[in-house]
Amino acid sequence: PGLDMSASGITATEVLVLINMVTPEELQDDEEYDNILEDVTDECNKYGKVQSVEIPRPIEGVDVPGCGKVFVEFASVSDCIKAQQNLTGRKFANRVVVTSYYDLDQYHRREF
Amino acid sequence: SAEPAKKKRKSRWAESSDVRSFIPGMPTIIPAHLTKEQEKAYLLQLQIEDYSRKLRTGDLGIPANAEERSPSPEPIYNHEGKRLNTRDMRTRRKLEDERHKLIQQMFELNPEYKPPSDYKAPLAKYTD
Repeated sequence: PGLDMSASGITATEVLVLINMVTPEELQDDEEYDNILEDVTDECNKYGKVQSVEIPRPIEGVDVPGCGKVFVEFASVSDCIKAQQNLTGRKFANRVVVTSYYDLDQYHRREF
Repeated sequence: SAEPAKKKRKSRWAESSDVRSFIPGMPTIIPAHLTKEQEKAYLLQLQIEDYSRKLRTGDLGIPANAEERSPSPEPIYNHEGKRLNTRDMRTRRKLEDERHKLIQQMFELNPEYKPPSDYKAPLAKYTD
């Protein structure tokens, strides 16, 4: 209880986080990982200029931070907002895509 | 890349950008700094609601294009000749199983959790 999911307190940044989209199992496989990276990059490029994409992959015996999430850095906040509006709630491999923004500095420091 | 005529792979994104599943009370835009537990509980809840909606509406997500469907097993019939493993039935059972797993995970996070009203725990799972 008391979990505030309202839009207040959500500040847009250059970094879009796509959640509930990939499972650690899918990312273990090199080919599947490459395909996921390609699907994400191609789709995001439709809405803005993609600067970089990070998809943390699982490492056996390690709790990899951000594993299961996809981080996409856009050239501008407005590109990122446009992508978010187009992608949130879409289905990816039959899963509902949930989105969030991420702090750009933290992203660059790879603090996931 | 310079790879020779590779067959165009189908994207994991759903075909049309207007196929979205908005679940009442469950926004798909979430704040950045939820705790891991808060985020996990929210995602579980969202998926449980998504499965429940599919089961309730009968919109099971079976691809309209037969080529995108998985191969069917041998048909099984009951004594009246009624088929027991149609794609619809198999998909429903899969969704029920998946939902059950998610609901179990949810109970681990939150013992007070109230599962969807149409959910019935499989009896065998409660014998331990």
